[in-house]
Amino acid sequence: MSKIELRNITHIYESGGEKTQAVKDVNLTLEEGTSNALIGPSGCGKTTLLNIISGLLTPTEGKVLIDGEDVTELPPQDRDVAQVFQFPVVYDSMDVYGNLAFPLRNRDVPKEEIKERVQETAELLGLVDKLHDNPGNFGPEWSQLVSLGRGIIRHDTTALLFDEPMTDVDPGRKLTLRRRISQAQQRLKVTSLYVTHDQHEALTFADKAAVMNQGQIVQYGSPEKLYEQPVSTFVGNFIGSPGMNFIDCVATDSKLKVGSFEIPISDEIKDLLDPSWTSLQVGIRPYQIDIADEQREDKPISTTVTLTEHLGSYRIITLKLPEIDKEIKAEVPLDEQVEVGDEKFIGLNQENIRLFHEGQAIENGGE
Amino acid sequence: MKNRAWWFLIPSLAVMSLSAFIPLMTVINYAQYTVFPGSAPQFVGMENFVEVFQDSVFIGSLGRQVLFSFEVLLIEIPLGLGIALALPKKGKWVGWSLVLLGVPLLIPWNVVGIIWRVFTRSDLGAVPKIFQWLGYGGYNAASNPGDAWWTVVTMDVWHWTPLVVLLCYAGIQAIPEEFYRAAKIDGASAWAKFRYVTLPKLKHALILAVLLRFMDSFKIYAEPFQLTGGGPGNSTTFLSIYTSRKAIGGFNMGMGAAISIVYFFLVILLSWLLYTIMLNVGGGSSK
Ligand SMILES: Nc1ncnc2c1ncn2[C@@H]1O[C@H](COP(=O)(O)OP(=O)(O)OP(=O)(O)O)[C@@H](O)[C@H]1O
Ligand SMILES: [Mg+2]
Repeated sequence: MSKIELRNITHIYESGGEKTQAVKDVNLTLEEGTSNALIGPSGCGKTTLLNIISGLLTPTEGKVLIDGEDVTELPPQDRDVAQVFQFPVVYDSMDVYGNLAFPLRNRDVPKEEIKERVQETAELLGLVDKLHDNPGNFGPEWSQLVSLGRGIIRHDTTALLFDEPMTDVDPGRKLTLRRRISQAQQRLKVTSLYVTHDQHEALTFADKAAVMNQGQIVQYGSPEKLYEQPVSTFVGNFIGSPGMNFIDCVATDSKLKVGSFEIPISDEIKDLLDPSWTSLQVGIRPYQIDIADEQREDKPISTTVTLTEHLGSYRIITLKLPEIDKEIKAEVPLDEQVEVGDEKFIGLNQENIRLFHEGQAIENGGE
Repeated sequence: MKNRAWWFLIPSLAVMSLSAFIPLMTVINYAQYTVFPGSAPQFVGMENFVEVFQDSVFIGSLGRQVLFSFEVLLIEIPLGLGIALALPKKGKWVGWSLVLLGVPLLIPWNVVGIIWRVFTRSDLGAVPKIFQWLGYGGYNAASNPGDAWWTVVTMDVWHWTPLVVLLCYAGIQAIPEEFYRAAKIDGASAWAKFRYVTLPKLKHALILAVLLRFMDSFKIYAEPFQLTGGGPGNSTTFLSIYTSRKAIGGFNMGMGAAISIVYFFLVILLSWLLYTIMLNVGGGSSK
């Protein structure tokens, strides 16, 4: 139950004379008792950042603070940070009891107390009837629970870190494991950070999520915020499936045009536009695109349907804007009549769009 | 046999029967005769076996053999494991260390014998000189049973510890780094990491090393034969030397065959015993 702060963390790996900058100047504060997610594409530095928090790695630059105390140089065993790895780790030379007791035995906790705490932890995680089984024979979902148990059995656990714990777990079992993890987190109110590259997992688990790209945290906020107000085209595209659409537009005399259509924008936004900018991107979520069969004042842009995909309770259609040769995706209800080749009309409504210049959002929606 | 796959086994079965099964059958047959070259074989039934077990030289060789194998295992396994743990895990030194360690394994057995015979010669060898310098002047493998014994043990350790090192080293390299990361987070001491991560993960490599070294050392022949021919006296006469002495030196093929069979079953029995014991130590991981 602690506040975790990362201050200007940079990490460079050196192997065989080759340098890889895995983390670049990251600043992040995880408030006490919150559950957080860290999402980003493969290789963006998530694991590296996690290992820096737990102490498995010492950052090349920057500081790690736990409750305001600088722990950058402390080894993992003195930080009391629990970490569950992508690859489930159980000690198969001991039974589940032995596994759970291991961190306590290493700290010379008295036998009686170990017994009590093992019982307590096993109850919390639903491991009671497996205490004397060999975890070497467990599937990944149970192994991960044992691994989590070893992390939370210490009463002084400052933070819980998960590194893509679902990777090896069967799709059908993921839900149960996720629920157990959430329960444990809520009961113990431990500050936690959950790494994944699956945004659904991240957004269901966490109060706040950090999006990482190429070693940097590009946005940290609530799931709604990330979805509605992405700070960059990267976040807009990464969060949501399909991601946000981006349409190039031309700025002249503080007017924005997509092809020959002018996009209406408010005066406030007009004030934010730099006169020297000549091209911008309009971002719009697929669910915010309404289609119409006839051209109307609010739906002036002509498009052609090039693909329709049935996704259960709705459909995703791909629309081509012939004038600028651009394809976008729109979410439409199942009862809407759409065939490939149809002409449909869309509008870019000013309440729904967000403007980006060189990939960065123009207004940040008041951070 | 509906399964076509069985047909593919025929070549290997044919080779096996030529190389193992037929000779074994011949030996079992021989063992029941008194066979001296040049005279007709005489059927004697189990007599050869009885005679083997009544021969004090056989019993002596067997005792020495068991003692030798266990001494060699007790030295080579911990030593090999220790060296494997001390070797660098990555970097430019890995290749060099492995090549250096592999050298003894690459030397043909007869050369090993010659090398050590020269080393230990009382007139010009390095070993007696070193012992003299250390204050033990009387080293002489040719006349002193204790010296001969420990020299053979040393030869075997020198020759075969690298094999144990390589097996353990491969095993260590195969342990995922995550186990050590988790152990670090769990606050494990260096000893706890070794005891609960490294050792259990090396169990199979160690079983393999023990079995290979046991079977091989139990058949040791070249080293004592080259060094002193099994002497002085019978002090380095192991089972294989005893067998060949009986069969070839004594021209008693039937007797030799009987000893071979006893020898064969001893190797199987003891290997099985070792395997079973090792599989069951360390508790949980036996499944
Ligand atoms: N030990 C290492 N030595 C050198 N480079 C490394 C090392 N570990 C990671 N890297 C590099 O650092 C970058 C970040 O790696 P990291 O493992 O933190 O990414 P990740 O976000 O966890 O990726 P994934 O989703 O695949 O797990 C990658 O480019 C990777 O190749
Ligand atoms: Mg990773």
